[in-house]
Amino acid sequence: MSVTLLYIEDDHEIGSVVSADLSERGYSVRWLRSGEGATEEAAPCQLAILDVMLPGLDGFTVGQRLKRAYPKIPILMLSARTSIDDKLQGLEFADDYLTKPFHPDELAARIEVLLRRNGASVQDSLTLKHLVVYEGDNRVINAQTQEEVMLTGKQFQIFSYLLRHLGQIMTKEQIYEAVWGEAYLEGDKTLMVHIRYLREKLELDPGNPEIIETVRGIGYRVRA
Amino acid sequence: MRGLGRIRKQRSSSLLSGYLLIIVSALLFIPVVLPLSFVLYNMVNEVTKGAPPVDTSLYSSVAALETMWHKEALQLEDASSEGINERLHELSRKYTEATMFWVDGQGMTQLILTPDEGNPDHGSEVPEQWTAAEAIFFMKESTKRDPLAIVAFMGDRVDAGKGFMVMQIPNKLLNKGAYGGVGAWALYYFVLFVLFGGFALVSLLFFRKIRKRLLQLQTAMTITGPDRMPKSIMTGKLDEIGRLEEAFNTMVAKLDESRKREIEEEELRKRLVSNLSHDLRTPLTVIRSHIHVMTKESLTPQGQQSLELMDKRIADLSVLIENLLSYNLLNSGRITLKKERKDVLRLLRESAAAWYPVWEKENFEIDIDLEADPLFWMVDEVWFRRILDNLFQNIVRHASSGLYVGISTESRNGQRVILITDHGRGIQSPSDYKGAGLGLSIVDLLMKHMELEWDMESTGDGTSIVIFNPRDEI
Repeated sequence: MSVTLLYIEDDHEIGSVVSADLSERGYSVRWLRSGEGATEEAAPCQLAILDVMLPGLDGFTVGQRLKRAYPKIPILMLSARTSIDDKLQGLEFADDYLTKPFHPDELAARIEVLLRRNGASVQDSLTLKHLVVYEGDNRVINAQTQEEVMLTGKQFQIFSYLLRHLGQIMTKEQIYEAVWGEAYLEGDKTLMVHIRYLREKLELDPGNPEIIETVRGIGYRVRA
Repeated sequence: MRGLGRIRKQRSSSLLSGYLLIIVSALLFIPVVLPLSFVLYNMVNEVTKGAPPVDTSLYSSVAALETMWHKEALQLEDASSEGINERLHELSRKYTEATMFWVDGQGMTQLILTPDEGNPDHGSEVPEQWTAAEAIFFMKESTKRDPLAIVAFMGDRVDAGKGFMVMQIPNKLLNKGAYGGVGAWALYYFVLFVLFGGFALVSLLFFRKIRKRLLQLQTAMTITGPDRMPKSIMTGKLDEIGRLEEAFNTMVAKLDESRKREIEEEELRKRLVSNLSHDLRTPLTVIRSHIHVMTKESLTPQGQQSLELMDKRIADLSVLIENLLSYNLLNSGRITLKKERKDVLRLLRESAAAWYPVWEKENFEIDIDLEADPLFWMVDEVWFRRILDNLFQNIVRHASSGLYVGISTESRNGQRVILITDHGRGIQSPSDYKGAGLGLSIVDLLMKHMELEWDMESTGDGTSIVIFNPRDEI
């Protein structure tokens, strides 16, 4: 089943080339020329891409309506305005934000991140080095031994948080606050200890980790 | 007609005329009010003494009474007994309060006239027949006694041998007279004091009222409403201050008007920037998308390279547009910032995390050393990220030859500072890419708005940027 995207863009030239590109990447695209009827069209969609400047209802209004109607559908805003201008308007409802002129690869990458974060990825499983991860089933299989890697609740939460932000570096604060739900206190070793145990289970050589990479001075990353 | 009335009203209610009124009334005290006080004194006196009303002023001066008595005695030198009696009766009618009697040459008391017939005190001490001893005793005591006795020999000389006449005045009258003198002075001082006090009070109130109104005006000028503009005030009387208040209101109205115009212009500028941004970015998006479409065609390596270069230039152009328009908006100074207490090291880490892949791709050596303790500054999170984005972007675009980015904190002069370094050819060197100036101008503007300070040390071997908070961490 392919992922359906709602794409609202009034400019015909941009709209046609972007929707063609996205279709080529395997998404089914519903392209609207204005915000009218967006709420109805969004029903079967997994993600909405909105232009900020739209005729009639502007992108902010449409986005806020969509978010109210479908809080689970991530919204990616495309803006042709300056970031300072947009900052004044407030993009709190949007899950991500991309300034024109964007590179089509960048747009595709953002879409993929948002979908993964929302558990609506194109792929069912994810292969990382020797591991195959079935995110939907909360299962991690070691492809070499065909054995399931058993993770504790917190370990799996940390791992899946990093997977949802695949390729992105997450800071210690971000991981801790997402998993534990409380403010990270500097000097707290809890996360480090959990990562160490997690590596012992996931990595072939925990002393030389390949799955969960330490980015010195910043945090951790799982590379795609 | 109305205008004239208005002018008259203004004149009559001017502070100058008000103050002149006070001064003139103060000057009128002495010639008008002081005599008035004496009249008042007499009236009060009569009322307090009760009926019958006595003109005590007749007895106020003993010396005058003595002169009068001696004059009378002189005139009566050759008068008969009846003549003397008659004259004394006359005098008695004038000096109703005095006891009068006279003694003839043989020492016989002839006539005793007492003010009150029913009062036995008067005249009872006067003997019928005066002996020499009695006369001497009477004379000796007369000045000290009550009633005071004024004695005059007929013809005003002892050797006339016609006897003497005596006028006795009760001390209470004399005292009253004396008291009356002192009372007049006391009253005089009292009235003077009251009037000058009153004058001072009126002046004080007058100036206090002026002061109060001036202070109100001052408060109105300094206290500003939610739109940072002073509000117009209620005008009181149409005197000098009233006109000042009116002028103030006119000024406020004008300020308000110009402020509205300014806001309108600001709106126009924003709309213009917004439209400009849209109109520039939309075709660029189309071009970039089509370049991407073309890369999928079979092209010569040279063709692919050209497309890559075009794509890069479009990205550069996008940054330039962003900076240009941001600068325009920021420079208008009407952008509000939301300062919060934030751990800037955390923001630095998050921003570095976003830029990490870019640096990796360019094969940069990345040296991030942010010590553990959080560093709290009052910053606007979005703007602080923008500062870092601009600085990091500069490193990628202008210092890529150094292949190094360093982010650390350091202690300088007891303050923790943020240090961002590269090993590029320095900011002054001719770079492959222009436009660093605008990005840094925006950094400078944003820093100023957040009251942060920054410094840039650039040599041919690299640039280091120091960001610090002059107000120390909080």
